[in-house]
Amino acid sequence: MIADIGYLSLLIAFGLAVYSAVSAWYGHRKNDLRWVESARNATILTFPLVILACGTLVISLVRSDFSLEYVWRVSSRDMPTYLKITALWGGQAGSLLFWNFLLAAFTAAAMARKWDQQRQLMPYALVVASITQIFFLGISAFIENPFIRLESVPVNGNGLNPLLRHPGMIIHPPMLYLGFTGFTIPYAFAMAALISGKLDDAWIRTTRRWTLVAWLFLSLGLILGGRWAYDVLGWGGYWAWDPVENASLMPWLSGTAFLHSVMIQEKRNMFKMWNMFLVVLTYCLVILGTFIVRSGVISSVHSFAQSAIGPFFFGFIGIMLVFSTYWIIRRKDDLRSKNHLLSFLSREAAFLYNNFLILAILAIVFLFTYYPIFSELFTGEKGFVGPTVYEQALAPLFAVLVLLMGVAPLTMWYRTSLKRLEMGVRWPAAATAVFVLVLFAFGIRSWGALVGFGIVGFSAILTLLEFWKGTHARMRKGEPLWTAFSNLLARNRRRYGGYWIHLGVIVMGFGIIGVEIFQQDTQMRLQAGASLQMGNYEMVFQGARRYEGPDDLLITEAAVDVYENGRFIKTITPRIEFYTRTGQTMTIPKARSTITEDFYVLMVNWEPTSANAATFRVFLNPLINWVWAGSIIFIIGTLIAAWPNPIDEKATQIIRRPVSAHATD
Amino acid sequence: MAGTSWTNDGEILLEQPTTNRTKFIVGGVLLLAAIVYLVVNAMSGNTQLYKTVNEFYAEKDRLVGRDLRVAGWVIGDSIQYTQIDDQNSILEFDIVDDLQNPGQRLHIVAYNEPKPDLLQHQAQALVEGRADENGVFVANEGGLMLKCPTRYEELEAPTASN
Repeated sequence: MIADIGYLSLLIAFGLAVYSAVSAWYGHRKNDLRWVESARNATILTFPLVILACGTLVISLVRSDFSLEYVWRVSSRDMPTYLKITALWGGQAGSLLFWNFLLAAFTAAAMARKWDQQRQLMPYALVVASITQIFFLGISAFIENPFIRLESVPVNGNGLNPLLRHPGMIIHPPMLYLGFTGFTIPYAFAMAALISGKLDDAWIRTTRRWTLVAWLFLSLGLILGGRWAYDVLGWGGYWAWDPVENASLMPWLSGTAFLHSVMIQEKRNMFKMWNMFLVVLTYCLVILGTFIVRSGVISSVHSFAQSAIGPFFFGFIGIMLVFSTYWIIRRKDDLRSKNHLLSFLSREAAFLYNNFLILAILAIVFLFTYYPIFSELFTGEKGFVGPTVYEQALAPLFAVLVLLMGVAPLTMWYRTSLKRLEMGVRWPAAATAVFVLVLFAFGIRSWGALVGFGIVGFSAILTLLEFWKGTHARMRKGEPLWTAFSNLLARNRRRYGGYWIHLGVIVMGFGIIGVEIFQQDTQMRLQAGASLQMGNYEMVFQGARRYEGPDDLLITEAAVDVYENGRFIKTITPRIEFYTRTGQTMTIPKARSTITEDFYVLMVNWEPTSANAATFRVFLNPLINWVWAGSIIFIIGTLIAAWPNPIDEKATQIIRRPVSAHATD
Repeated sequence: MAGTSWTNDGEILLEQPTTNRTKFIVGGVLLLAAIVYLVVNAMSGNTQLYKTVNEFYAEKDRLVGRDLRVAGWVIGDSIQYTQIDDQNSILEFDIVDDLQNPGQRLHIVAYNEPKPDLLQHQAQALVEGRADENGVFVANEGGLMLKCPTRYEELEAPTASN
């Protein structure tokens, strides 16, 4: 009964999205603002309707109403309530409904907030956002309907896969989806600028924070996914270049390129067409990513045609691509810049190199991810590219990118003299040389590691110097150290937030190089009392016990004493959890975790019959925690850059008001 | 706008676009060439052929000994984990193309690999490795990947109605 209300509101929301697209277009054509206003109200109204649809599904999940197929699929009676609620995005149909919820939220917020500031862009932005809504609401209402009923009501449901019952996995999909849906707003405004011909940077200023927020969530989604893999999947890694991971990485990359190149448009009024291209690309990658993540088509051998939603997604991406390209070509003369690049040593040139590198990385990831399809197309045989190929091809590009990240802030707009650059890098380069020599003296012989650490170290010094220079300049005006530093961040949020993000990437860089090059692992069976040595660590297996946990859980827990350099550190308890009803096993690793490394232990097998013996897989992951620390720094930097600045906000509103008043009469 | 300050370097501006353009094109081509080199170099000899079980048997003679990635569904009761001694273990299981209509089975063997949590009946397995003449497929180190059936929803639902 309650589910019928949900489905009905989903249908009405779909109808409203159609109405909104048509009436916004019509109203703008006829120059009748009442139609446009009405379209806006319709779009805002989709939000409460989708909330209602999601709400009824959540209620059905919590009440274990197994007459709904979706509820049967993803939940069971014995699941705790919070898991029943989060099962909303535990399966395909629910995820898409949740996607719709986020999309409606973003769209409604954008239309409610920016209405008075951007009157001319609004009708078109409404049309484009509504078309996106029509597509996703249509998929939810007619193809992947979460409200489908079962003929006979099962007694109990399937339950959520235990692997997905990790906090990282519960927050990870919503973060990713927030990022994905968020990029719809910049796209809608970019298209509105193209169609209306208002190609000044109003659309960029309007959508700057949206882009940054979408990008923030996408970053969080990627990081949480990595952390989940490390904690749960137990192969000692965090990133495997899996098609599903790449599908979220690609829009993140093009979004990163856009966030950088937008600054050239703002400062120098160049690269307008390029920015349009990046927004369109990001949007299409988001739609493609949603499809890949949801359907798993690339990783499975099933062809695209066999997936029920495949043709719709490809059709939609195709239409949006043609539509966007048409408008970019039609406005190409207006997008052409009158300004030229004056020097290859300038801030704008540095941004250009940045974009080139990021797009090259993106192109390679794209080629490798879809290699099964390309190779089948050209050779008739499906091929596959594994992680080592990605790493080999991409490592040099990432290295140059990190180098550029350090050097670029030294450049000036328009042109920079070589001499000035030399002065800026002289001492940092010398310090880096000393750093590399010290690493060598400590026994690091892998030249990949020496070069890698050298580059990351060099950029670290340069980035820290930027903070120091800025703070020092303020201190000379009489501000104490801490005030100078916090004022520096507060007054130039975008710039220093950006450098802060760079610092996060650099710290992650140290971690990634450490794990990639110096990871060790082994697998061994130990009798109770026996020990295993790895690096500075020794582990002694004290024995295992089996006991019943909550619900249907059977837990086998090992007690392992960890010694570092012969000194007892602590006892860790890696476990095997067995869900008796579904027959699903979960191997829970435990680690001795320090700033320099993780000693990461998995119990992979236990033989209660043959004495007390267990098989362990052990990893030594150097600098792994730098990856997580870097992630946190990265997110803080993004928050600094995206934090609303009350002074700015007021100023733009004061300037904007008369313009919009003029535009609407 | 800032037009006046621009025309001050008017001469440079007039000259620059042409020289810049050649530089730009030459530089761009060189960079592209470098990237193509990176890709080709990384890929050469490192790609695998991607096969289903039936595709593998159809061309078994040609495919034996080559780097492959096979995909299939796991038969639950074929899974076997044997600890030979302290250093060595064997994990074995069979995969098929279609669980409802299992045709030929491909026998997978993995040495010294832990039994993945997702390795269970109806899971989808992706295995990197090579096949020997007897049709036994030996997985590479770290070459076992499993997708859980519930996540991608390949389970058969009890009769659904609209």
